[in-house]
Formats: sequence, C-alpha cells, structure tokens
Amino acid sequence: MAEKKTQKKTEKKRKAATAEVVTEAAGESQETGGTTGEGAAPAGEAKESFQALQRRREETALDVSRGFPDKYRLSGEMEGCSDARKIELLERLIRTRTFDARMRRLFRQGRFEGTFYSQIGQEACDVVIAIQLEKADFVGPSHRDLGASVGKGVPLEALATQVYNRVDSPDGGRYTACHYWHPEFWVMQPSTSIMMNWIAATGAAFGFKMLKKKSVAVAFGGDGATAHGDFHEGCNFAGVHRLPIVYVIQNNLWAESLPLSLTTALQDLSHRADAYDFPGLTVDGNDVVAVWNATRKALARARGGEGPTLIEMKTYRWFGHSDIDPADYRSEDEVEDWIERDPLPRYVGWLKENDVLDDGELDAIQQRVREEVERAVEFAESSPRPEPDAFLSEVFVHEYPGFDIRAGR
Amino acid sequence: VAPITYIDAINRTLHEEMARDETTFLIGEDTGIYGGVFKATRGLLEAFGPERIIDSPISESLIAGMTVGAAMVGCRPLPEIQFADFISPAFDQIVQQLARYHWRTNGTYAMPVTIRCPWGGGVGGGVFHSQSNEAWFMNVPGLVMVAPSTVRDAAGLLRAAIRSDDPVLYWEHKKLYRSIKDELPEGEEVVTEIGRAHVAREGSDVTAITFGYLLHETLKAAEKLSGDGIEVEVIDLRTLLPLDTPTILESVAKTGKAVVVHEAPKVGGIGGEIAAILAEECFWELDAPVKRLTGFNTSFPAAKSMEDLYMPGVDEIADALRTTAET
Repeated sequence: MAEKKTQKKTEKKRKAATAEVVTEAAGESQETGGTTGEGAAPAGEAKESFQALQRRREETALDVSRGFPDKYRLSGEMEGCSDARKIELLERLIRTRTFDARMRRLFRQGRFEGTFYSQIGQEACDVVIAIQLEKADFVGPSHRDLGASVGKGVPLEALATQVYNRVDSPDGGRYTACHYWHPEFWVMQPSTSIMMNWIAATGAAFGFKMLKKKSVAVAFGGDGATAHGDFHEGCNFAGVHRLPIVYVIQNNLWAESLPLSLTTALQDLSHRADAYDFPGLTVDGNDVVAVWNATRKALARARGGEGPTLIEMKTYRWFGHSDIDPADYRSEDEVEDWIERDPLPRYVGWLKENDVLDDGELDAIQQRVREEVERAVEFAESSPRPEPDAFLSEVFVHEYPGFDIRAGR
Repeated sequence: VAPITYIDAINRTLHEEMARDETTFLIGEDTGIYGGVFKATRGLLEAFGPERIIDSPISESLIAGMTVGAAMVGCRPLPEIQFADFISPAFDQIVQQLARYHWRTNGTYAMPVTIRCPWGGGVGGGVFHSQSNEAWFMNVPGLVMVAPSTVRDAAGLLRAAIRSDDPVLYWEHKKLYRSIKDELPEGEEVVTEIGRAHVAREGSDVTAITFGYLLHETLKAAEKLSGDGIEVEVIDLRTLLPLDTPTILESVAKTGKAVVVHEAPKVGGIGGEIAAILAEECFWELDAPVKRLTGFNTSFPAAKSMEDLYMPGVDEIADALRTTAET
C-alpha cells in the first residue's frame, strides 16, 4: 500500500515536471495542463501550438463585436420581446460565455479537479429558451448546458462552486463537476448517463399536467442522444399524453468523437417528431432571432395545453467534448467555418443595426459580467473543500436498523 | 371477516392509498383498462380516472425514469413493472438515477417512488416470467427492497412503501397471489415497518432465513422437523435491502446455526450476503457452517418437471435444516 502511494507521488511529480517544461515553452507560466492524461494533446512543439490555438480561440469568443460574413447577418424581429429584454438576453449570453472561457483557463491552470465541458459556440440554444421560462418551469439539462442555468438566472457563485466541488455547491461537492443544477431555479441535476434528464423532464411535464399546475418543462439533448432509446421513450409518451414540454436537440454535428453520419442517417433531426405526431422544426441554433421565435412558439404551445414540440438547433461546439479532448477528429476548416457563424457577434450586429445597442452599453455589459465572473471565481476558490466524510450521508431519507453507511470500513 | 388473498390485499391497499393521497399515480403496462395482467390494479381506473392511472406504452425505462421528474414536482409515483423479469430496460433509471438522486442532490430531493415487481417461480412461466432477480439490485446505494410473504405484509409493506420517502422496489410473489388468504378487516390501516425482519416461528436449534413463497415451504419443513425434536427458528426477511442485520444476528447467536433459503441462483445471491454477515459478525457463535439452499446456477426452466426440481421443496429444505441442526 505504502509502496503504491510513493509510486503515485513520483508519477505525479514527473507529470508536473513535464507540464512545467511544456507551459514554459508556451509562455503560459500558470497553465499546467489537465489533471488527467486521457486524450491529452501531444507533448512538445505540437502541444505548444495546440494551447496557443485554444487561447486564441477563447479570445476570439470573447470579442463579441467582431465582424462576420454578411451571409450570416440576422434578419427579422424577435416577437414579443422588448428592447430591455433583448439587452438582458445579450447579457446572459455574454455571462455564459465569459464564465465558460474563464473556467477553461482555470482548468488549464489546475485550479480544479476533473474536467470542464465547454459550451462555447452553443449558448444561444440554451440561454434563449431558458430566459423565457418562469421560475417554477422545469429544466432537464445535459452536462453541457451551462447556458440553461445562466439563462434561467442561477447565480454564478452556485455554478462556480459546482465546478470546483466546494461546500457551497448545490450538492456540496459530492456529485460531479460541471453538472450544473439548482433546486430554487428548478434546473434539475443532469446525469452523466445520456438522456436520463430527457425522461425525467418528461416525468416532470406529466406531473405538472396531473397536478394541474401551469408550469412547463424543457429538456435538452445532443445529436448523439437522439440515438438513445430514452429519446424515443420520452417523446413517444409525451406525444401520447400531449405533455407540456419542449424538447431541444442541439445538433453540434459531433457526439464526442462520433460524426452525425454515424449517429443517424437523417440530416434534419426534427423529422423524428413526425413519428410522435407533434411539431418538429429545425432552426439555425446560432441565430438568436430564429431561436427566440421558435422557442417562444413552442413554449406557448406547451403552456396552452397543445402538447410537445421538438426543436433541432444546428450549432457547433468550438472545443473538445471536455477540456481533455483536443477534438482532433474534426478539421480545422470546419471549426473556422463555425467560428464565423458564432451566435454572439451576429446577435450583437443585429442589435446595433436595430439601434437597440451601442458600443458604450456593450462595453458596460462586458465589464459588469467580467467583474461578476471574477467575484464568482473568488467565491468558489474561497469556499471550503468538503470534509472527507461529507459524502457519508443522505443515502436514505429514513433510518433502517440494518443500514450502516460505514459497514465496509 | 372474510379472508382475502394476497393480491386482494395489494389491490385494496392501492385503492386506499390512492384515495388518501391525491399526488399518487400509477403507471404500468396493461394496468388501467385491463386492470393488470394479474388483476392487481383492477378497478383503479374506474376509481381514479385516466389522469392518475396510466396505461403505459411498452417502455420500462420511461415507466421507471419518468417518476424522478414527477416526484421532483410533487407526485408520489407508483410504477408497476409487469413482470420483474422485464425490469432490465429500467435498470439504468432505477440504479443510476432514482436510487441515487437523494444522495446526489445532497438530500435536496426525496424520491417517494414505489415500484411493484411481480416475481418468483412456481407458476409455469418459463425464464421471462419466473425469475428472482432481487440480487441484481443488492449493492445499489439508496434503494430499498421489500418482499412480503403474507397477506398482512402484502398490505402493510405496500402501505409503508407508498408512504415512504425513499424509493422502494416492492417484490410481490406471483405464486402467493391467490394461494394464501388471511383476515384483513377493511379500513384497518396495516403498516409493516420497513427495515425489520419478522421471526415467523421461534425455535432454538437452527435459524432458517427466507422470504416470499419459500417462507411457507420453510414453515412446513419446520413443522415436519418439530416432530423429530428439531426446533427451527424461521426468519421472514420482509425487507431485503437494507437487510435487518440485528434480527438475523440475534437469532443466529441464539441457535448457532443458519440456513438461508431463496429461489435465486446461489452465486451473488442474498444468501451470500447473509452468510458473509454471519461470518463477520457472528463467527464465534456459529456451531456449524452456514448453509445456502437456493435455485440452481442456471436460468429458470419452463417444463413443470424441471421447475419442480428448480424450486427448493419442503423435503429439501427439511433435509438442509436437519443436516445443519445435527452438525
């Protein structure tokens, strides 16, 4: 046992030493690489450029007023959305992205364990629908749906402590980092096992209907998740019972390393809704105006007792499945193309064109959000790490004479 | 009072508890219009309507998994898995989600869900209608499992399960549905405490630990041995998870000998867990090796002749108890 421990320590030291050399070369004295080696980028020269590329793209992501090809200009009007609401939506989008980019950086600096699932590029799919929800509406997110929480108003402190596994996290650090949830905001805790949230949100929608509550549910899944049996079982049941639910598929073309063509023979996943006899539509998930109008209608349908809607949002994640995934299964051209379709600059451009936003206001939002994110990070870093035995509780609600949580030790 | 059957007790308790708590709903295959393949849920649709009595599509993962969201928003779900053998598609939802959700959320949400699972052999059902698959769930943290062996406990454990805030797998034995009867006055709210085993027969020479249909075979075996001067203490487990370790230890400390009897295959079965507990906690009180009399390490056979061999019978149980008692 003792021998094993020493061996582990030596390994750790060796890893740290390697990381130091690499980061020095990369000119990132604080960034020490991931905590696990799985899928890590190649060492030496190649890693240097990989990290530099990651940083450059993060900076690009934060530059939300940059230009983009004219073909990606947004048009139309956001139905029933006041100017103030449009600005609030922008702020939540920027908040999601800024938090995400900050966490990526902190992860590379080794400030928290585990990994991080970046959502950068996909934020519109979550935030735009979440901001329209009432507090009692139910959200069933997957592990990448940071924007579902931010969009619904969950404080960044709760999210940062969740990433850091600290005591102030909603789960006290016992669950799994980056699986954002918050009981007060009715964002359920996502399961790492794909599509459990889909089924649970379907159950919540059933509960609302049975208990005659006015609330609705929203479930999120990816393109890969549509291959799971629970996708079908949930949609099918919701179709039969006309449940108050909106199903959102974020089709980012890749299920971890699996291309869409190996997930399904379909091109547009919204066709799946035909099988359940409720509306299915495909929208550009990076077009805030289109996403707003589609989700607004779907939510109204759900709230009006007309039943479910499936919305496929075509989008893209800029970075790997998690931050230990270099995503080298995709071509750089593909990534660059999608960076041009970034939802944030397109929305910012549209707001400016419509005289809803000026540069001064945008600067103020960005400044405010940066400060907010820093406060959340400080809060998380100063939040205590949980006591080692803090997980030894809450297995059951009730007590049982034969149950001994420590029986094995 | 006219005696009622085990399945009547289940049906009556469902009626009573659903009338008592408007947040309860029942979901399962053929449970509504048809009243259940065994008629355990007959009359419920008429009494509570299609909003609360759901005839589910053939979607076991949904049946189990939807309860998590429903429970979160204030329901008390009563899913039924038509045959326990069909629980495998629901396994992921039960094991990874339902059972762990209270722990995962640091105690924020309770999961007051009772999943009824008709189980057990002796009904000529073949491999998909006869299994005892409770052991699949034995090391799942957060899950409770009860298995009534009597009419009274069929009602009492079901009522306790429905009122419990922990997720409960309620194993109802198919062979007991109509083979046993007992007096159970209407309106008497029988509650059997979850987590406690029951000493169904007192004895001093050897402890038999069992549950379900085999409790009755074991009691018959005990009567037989009594004539030969061997007094068997019979423990009806009632709750399979968490096991009532104190009651088991107390009995075996007294008799010094133990035989576990169950239908499931021996390997990885509950008998192994009990034997291990006895070895760890009660070794110096033991006067004989702990014996496990179980189903075979095969799948469950269909033909009556094979099934009769598979199920431990009164004579076999008596032999195992005698051998252990005389060691």
